[in-house]
Amino acid sequence: MPNARRSLNALLRFVCLLALLGAAFLFCLPAQAQTLTITAALAAPGDEAFVVDARTAAPVSLPDDWATTRPGFTGSIWYRVTFTPPGNLAGGELLALYIEQVCSNYRVLLNGQEVASGGRMALPLTHNCNHPQIITLPGALLRAEASTLDIQVAGHSLAEVGSRQRAGGLSALVIGPQNELAARFAQRTALQVTAPQAVGATLLLMGGFMFVLGFMNRQESHLAYFGALSVGWALLDLRLWLRTMPLSHSTAEFLLVSLLGFITWVAVQFLLRYGGVRLRTVDRALPVQAALLPLTLILAGPENLRKVAVIWFGVLLIEVVVASAWYLWRERPRRSFWLMGPLLLAMAVAGVIELVAQGTGQRPLAAHIASLIAPVLFVIVGLRLVQQQGRARQTVEQDKVLLEQRVAEAAAEIEKNYEQLSELRVEQVTERERKRIAADLHDDLGAKLLTIVHTSDNERISTLAREALEEMRLSVRGLTGKAVRLGDALGDWRAEVVSRLNQAGIEGQWDAPEDLPQRLSARAYVQTTRILREATSNIIKHSQASLCTMKCTITDGDLLFVVQDNGNGIAPETEARLDRGHGLASMKNRAKQLQGQCLVESGPGYGTVIRLTVPLDRATEAS
Amino acid sequence: MKTILLLEDLPEIRVWMRKLVLQVFPGAHLSESARVGDALKLVSAVKFDLALIDLGLPDGSGVDVVSKLREVQPDAQSVVVSIHDDDEHLFPALQAGAFGYILKEQARELITEQLQRISQGEPPLSPSIARRVMAYFSAKAKPQANTGHAMPNVNLTDRESEVLLRVAKGYTLPEIGVQLGLSRHTIADYVKQIYRKLNVSSRAEAALEAQRLGLFR
Repeated sequence: MPNARRSLNALLRFVCLLALLGAAFLFCLPAQAQTLTITAALAAPGDEAFVVDARTAAPVSLPDDWATTRPGFTGSIWYRVTFTPPGNLAGGELLALYIEQVCSNYRVLLNGQEVASGGRMALPLTHNCNHPQIITLPGALLRAEASTLDIQVAGHSLAEVGSRQRAGGLSALVIGPQNELAARFAQRTALQVTAPQAVGATLLLMGGFMFVLGFMNRQESHLAYFGALSVGWALLDLRLWLRTMPLSHSTAEFLLVSLLGFITWVAVQFLLRYGGVRLRTVDRALPVQAALLPLTLILAGPENLRKVAVIWFGVLLIEVVVASAWYLWRERPRRSFWLMGPLLLAMAVAGVIELVAQGTGQRPLAAHIASLIAPVLFVIVGLRLVQQQGRARQTVEQDKVLLEQRVAEAAAEIEKNYEQLSELRVEQVTERERKRIAADLHDDLGAKLLTIVHTSDNERISTLAREALEEMRLSVRGLTGKAVRLGDALGDWRAEVVSRLNQAGIEGQWDAPEDLPQRLSARAYVQTTRILREATSNIIKHSQASLCTMKCTITDGDLLFVVQDNGNGIAPETEARLDRGHGLASMKNRAKQLQGQCLVESGPGYGTVIRLTVPLDRATEAS
Repeated sequence: MKTILLLEDLPEIRVWMRKLVLQVFPGAHLSESARVGDALKLVSAVKFDLALIDLGLPDGSGVDVVSKLREVQPDAQSVVVSIHDDDEHLFPALQAGAFGYILKEQARELITEQLQRISQGEPPLSPSIARRVMAYFSAKAKPQANTGHAMPNVNLTDRESEVLLRVAKGYTLPEIGVQLGLSRHTIADYVKQIYRKLNVSSRAEAALEAQRLGLFR
């Protein structure tokens, strides 16, 4: 059904459009006003009870990326900033602190009073790296001149994490009206948390579905790999859902980095299988690699996780890029190239942006959007695969219907042929049987009748026997004979009637149309022959006529014979005798059998007129 | 004095035929037979002027005797005397070389008349047999054009075709004579010629077929 295909195409386009719109919306952040951005602080390491001493603390600029300012540090840092609230706040408006990024967790004290906490400050830390924070600063705690904010940040060194996003640090602080900052917070949350969560959930669901679909049908193994890829990618963002995990930090990081081995495995396999290729070596090497990766991580230890991970990232990235390039090269003459090409290109752009972000430690808006590109593209590819799958199934269904139709046709033909064959066989058998009966009749009955004809002294008996023999032969031919051309039948009748009349010394005049295309059934031919023969016999025997005219015409599909003689005519008493001898009566009966009629008009001295009507159509049909 | 072969398996009919033949040909010498095998031996041994041959016999078909007679005694006249009046039985006999046929059950006078006519060279020809002969020659005319074999030209002349056509339409031989302005003897000659051509043609056909099958070299 082309309609379904069209609507699926439309859906694909709609999803793409939605993704673009979302991106555009996120880029258009409103301008900032009446806000105070703090980019400098005093910082010192310290545990929970520690409070920054202005004399011992070192000044740092914000954002403070631990990877650059204190490499290798894992633990807790206290930051102190002093600020004067913006004076031009409208009456009753709340003041808030907005932290774009703090990793992994934080506590905030305003003028010595704790106003906010992100969760667990002891290991394993609550993971807030992706979540922007907004903290309402209670007016009662604020001082009119200068207020002090003490922020404790607990985090991990870059060496212990797989992604720079998850290394310790604190972004610039913004203080301003709560409602304005809340808007900014909401946008950031949507971009960094809600959107990845939504796409991740979609991927998880779709991936799971496609995995099952591909797993059930080994011909479609690329579906299974793509499903696994989607699920794996969705799991990468698990920390968005589970900020506090019942696992140590090193275990969680280990699992996340290990997941990349798995993702590479299924991604490369998906591209190969989708491209229609199955390589034994790759089938074996990729799972081994996926197992090797966690092994090297364990061997290197949690403190070297970052180093090992970066090496692996490089290797895996090369594999995926090579597989993508191979796939595109292979698909270049096909239509799917024009879908997969741009998608893989967009993926590559996103990958480059992510690489730059990882390298510099900067995480601009573009980097956040780029990290959303991959899962969105996965969703698009997934829909495309489902579309192809649906189309294939449709084709299969159509083929099946076509096949069933063919089978039905073939069956009908076979049945027909079989029927014809058996009909033919029945005909052959019947024909053979008819011939056998005819031969038997001639040999046995015919011989006996013939003997009677030629040995009987009684003229009447030999005549009866001769007639019986003629009847027998006509009957046999009536059974075996085929339809007779009317023209041929007229020739036969003329020859018999005229020569018989001539032999009896009666002049016979025959008038009939020639070359008639109509046909006469064997039965009608035999019956008409008998009627004409009887009529001729009657004329020869009884009329004493010198002239007999026979006129044959065809009117309204009826064959009409008028037999007229110039003899004595039939006296009433003679007619009765003739009827008893089955003469005239049998002629009339035979005509009736053919749905025709035989009328005899006669008067003493006026000759006799016999009018015989045989309907041609019915006579031809009946056989 | 005529020598006549009478091949008939029914004793009563044979007796009756003998009487009739002797009546038509007084003083004729008759050789009688009830079986095809005996008749074939007779044909090889005795010279006949006329042969009256039944078709359905206990040990085979009278057609074989007609063929044999045609082969060894071309001057002998074969006449089929049969109870069958249909083309399927008569046509093969005519092809084999019979000069006409007589239906057994006809009245004595009619058979007598037909025998006399035959002896005078006027063989009987029914419309259905005439149609059959026309169909045979017109079917033969077509493939002959494109076969490379040297086939004896045994096509009918226009006059012969004309006579056949009129017989097929039911006209009697005297009537045809009047229509064409010819004597009844001339018409009878045409009919005899037609029978002869039928036989020559079918024999040539058989020879050609045998050659094709590799029976002759």
